[in-house]
Amino acid sequence: MVAHLLRLRYRLLLNGFKRSTWALVSAVIGLAYGLLVLVGLIVGMIALSFSESELVWVVSVLGGGVAVLGWVIAPILLRGYDQSLSVAKLRVFPIAPQRLLVGLFVAGLLGVPGIVTVIAGLSTTIGWIGEPVALVAAPFAALLAVLTCVVASRAFESVGASLAAGRRYREIMSVAVFVPVLLLGPIIGLGLPALSNASADLPAIARIVSWSPLGAAWSIPGDLALGRPLEALAKTGIALATLALLVLAWRRSLTTLLATPPRSAAGGGRRKGLGPFSWYPATPTGAVAARTTVYWLRDPRYGGSLVTLPVLVVIAVFVSITGSDWFLAALGPVFAATFAITLCAEVAYDGTAFASHLSTGVSGAADRAGRVITLAIIAVPLVLVSTIVPLLVLDRAEQIPALLGIGFGLLLTGFGVSSIASARFLMPVPAAGESPFKTPPGSTFSAQLGMYAAWLIIFVLAIPELALGIAAIVTGSVVLGVIALVVGIALGTVLMIVGIRRGGALLERRGPELLASLTRARGA
Amino acid sequence: MTEADPVIPVPPPTTSAPALRIAGLRKSFGDKIAVENLDLTVPSGSFYGLVGPNGAGKTTTLSMATGLLRPDAGTIEILGTDVWRDTVTAKSLVGVLSDGVALFDRLTGEQLVTYHGLLHGMDRETVAQRTADLLELLDLQEAGGILVVDYSAGMTKKIALASALVHAPRLLVLDEPFESVDPVSAANIRDLLAGYVRGGGTVIVSSHSMDLVQRMCDHVAVIGSGRLLAAGTTDEVRAGSTLEDRFVELVGGRHTTEGPAWLHTS
Repeated sequence: MVAHLLRLRYRLLLNGFKRSTWALVSAVIGLAYGLLVLVGLIVGMIALSFSESELVWVVSVLGGGVAVLGWVIAPILLRGYDQSLSVAKLRVFPIAPQRLLVGLFVAGLLGVPGIVTVIAGLSTTIGWIGEPVALVAAPFAALLAVLTCVVASRAFESVGASLAAGRRYREIMSVAVFVPVLLLGPIIGLGLPALSNASADLPAIARIVSWSPLGAAWSIPGDLALGRPLEALAKTGIALATLALLVLAWRRSLTTLLATPPRSAAGGGRRKGLGPFSWYPATPTGAVAARTTVYWLRDPRYGGSLVTLPVLVVIAVFVSITGSDWFLAALGPVFAATFAITLCAEVAYDGTAFASHLSTGVSGAADRAGRVITLAIIAVPLVLVSTIVPLLVLDRAEQIPALLGIGFGLLLTGFGVSSIASARFLMPVPAAGESPFKTPPGSTFSAQLGMYAAWLIIFVLAIPELALGIAAIVTGSVVLGVIALVVGIALGTVLMIVGIRRGGALLERRGPELLASLTRARGA
Repeated sequence: MTEADPVIPVPPPTTSAPALRIAGLRKSFGDKIAVENLDLTVPSGSFYGLVGPNGAGKTTTLSMATGLLRPDAGTIEILGTDVWRDTVTAKSLVGVLSDGVALFDRLTGEQLVTYHGLLHGMDRETVAQRTADLLELLDLQEAGGILVVDYSAGMTKKIALASALVHAPRLLVLDEPFESVDPVSAANIRDLLAGYVRGGGTVIVSSHSMDLVQRMCDHVAVIGSGRLLAAGTTDEVRAGSTLEDRFVELVGGRHTTEGPAWLHTS
C-alpha cells in the first residue's frame, strides 16, 4: 500500500513533466535552487562547527523552528497546489485510516521538500563535530524533528480540510491568508533593523523556542553539548509528545475525512433580484459589464489580482519614511500600470463558460467594452485617489496634473492593449473555485513573457504623456503638467477605443480557437 | 453607391429550408479523426435524435453545427443560413445546450438566464418576462436566487436549457439534456420540447438513452466513429426491431461474455 502511494506520487510527478516541457524546466530550476540552498547550508554548518557550541545551538533551534513552522504554513497557503494524493481522491478505495496515514506520511517524507528537509536536518549534525555526545544524539534529534515537520504539515492540512468544507469560507480564506504573506516583505524590512540591534536577545529567544514544540527536538544535541542533560531529556519528552499528539490529531481528522461526503453543500444565502444586472443598461455591453461586476464581487480570482495594491501602499509609505519619497509620489501611475494588464486574464478566467458568449453570437466589441467598463469603475477612482492623496500629503500639489496624466494615459492605453491581448493569448489561470494563488500548470515562462510584452507595448504607446509628464515634473511647470493630463486622457481614450474595436474583431475571428484552447487548458 | 450589393444579403429564412443541413463535414484533432465526411439533414419541425457510442463524434458535430468549433471542411446551414459565413444570423436562430462546457456559475439562476437573454440583444422587459416563465416551467423558481455553482447536476442542466431557450430560437441543439435529470423533471422537459416542436420549432438531442429517443423523437441518426451509420424517421431506422437492438447491430462491439469468473459471487 505504502509502496503503491509512493509510486503513484512519483508517477504523477513524472507525467506532469510529460505534459509540459516548461514544467520540467521549472522543476530543474527549482531543483538547482534547492541544491544550492542545501550546499550553502552544509558549508554554513561546517563553518559553524568551528565556533562556540552556544552559537550552534541558537542557530539550529531557531533555524529548525522556522523549518517546522514553514512545513505547517506552506500547505495551508498553497492549498490545492499539490492535490496528487488528496484524501478526497483516495476516499473511494478501501484503505484503513491507519495504513493511509503511514502511506501519506512516507509519500510526504520522500517528496522533494521532504528529502531536502531530511538532508538539511542531518546537516546540523556537522555542527557538533567537536562534541562527541551531541554528535551521536544529533542525527536522531534531527530525524525526530523532520518527522515532526512532515506529520505536523499533514495533520494541519487534514484538520484544515475537514474545517474548510464550505465554498465561501474557502474563497475568503484563500485571499485573506495571502495579505500577511505579501506584507512579509515590509515586515522583514521594518523588523530586520530592530532585529540586528537585538541580536543579543537571540539566545533568549532561542531559549523560549527550544521549550516549544517548534524547537524542542532541534535543541536536544545543543543541550547535551552545553552540559544540560536534564533539559535535553525534558525536551526529548516534549518533542515525542508533540509528535504523538500530531499523529493522533491527524488520524482523527483523516478518519473523519474518509467518512465525509466529498462536498458538503455550501448552501449560501439566497439572493433576491438581479443585482448588477439591473444597474447597467439592458444591452449586450451592459450585460457583460454586469456579469463581470458580479464576478469581481464573488470570484476571489478577480479581487485576488488586486491584493498587491495595499502591499504597494505599505511599501511606498515605508520607503518614504526611511528614505526617498519618489515611490509614494508615483503611487498613482504604479496603480495604473497594475490595472493596465489586469484585463489580460479575463477570457482565461471565464474558462469554458466563454462558450456562452460564443453561442449567443454577442459582438466582440460588446464583450470587450463590457469588461473594460467594470474595471474602469474600480480602477479610475483608485488611480485618482492614489495619485492625489499622496501628492497632497507630500505637499506637491503642483505635480498632480502631470502624474494624473501619466496614470490615466497608462490606464486607458492598458485597457486597449489588454483588450487585444486577452483575445490573442490565454493567460494560464487557476480554474474557477481553485485558490487564486495556485500556480496553474504551464504558467511559467511564456505567460510571464506575454505579460511583460503587454506592459512594454503599453509604455511605448504612452510615451507622449510619459515624456510630457516627466518634463513637467522636472521643470516644475504646471502648464506642461496640464498638457500631459489632456494628452494622456485624449490619446489613452483613442487607444482604448481602437483596442476595443480591434480586440473585438479578433475575438469574433478567433472565438472558436479560443474556446478550443480553453477546453484544452481544463484538460476536458 | 452600390445599391445592388447590400451589406447584409440575408434572405429571410424560408420554412422549406431544412432546420439543419450538414454536408461533407470533417474534423480531426491531430491524428485522430473525430468526424469524417458527415452528411446530415434535419427537416424543419422535426424532433431529431442523435445517437452514437462514446467518442462517436456527436458532441464534436453539434459543436461545429452551432459555431463553437471550426470544422476542417464541409458546410453547415441552419434554416438556409451558412453557420460559418453568416455566424451572427445563424446563432440568433439556434439555442444551444453544450455538454462539457462550464456556465457562468457564480451568477444566480435568474441572473444567468437574464445574461443570456441580454447577450442576444433582447430588451429588459422581454427578458424578465421570459426568465420568469422559464424558471416556472422548469421548476426552478425556488432556485432562481441561488448561485448556479451550488446547483445539483440536474438543476444545472435545467438552467442551461432555460438559457438556451430564452431568445426563442427556431432550432434547439441539446447535447445530453437528460443526463442526471430526475424522471419528473425529464418528463416536464419532454413535454416542453414536444410543445416547442408542435409550435414549429425543431429540436436536435443527443442521448445515450435509446428508449427515450425511440419514444420522444420522430427522426433519428446513428453516428459511429465520426460517420453517419443510419438516418431517417425513427420507424425507418429501427426497421421493426427496437432502436437499442438496431443501434447495437449498427455500431457493433457487443460482447457476449458474462464477465470474468471471479465476478460471480456464487
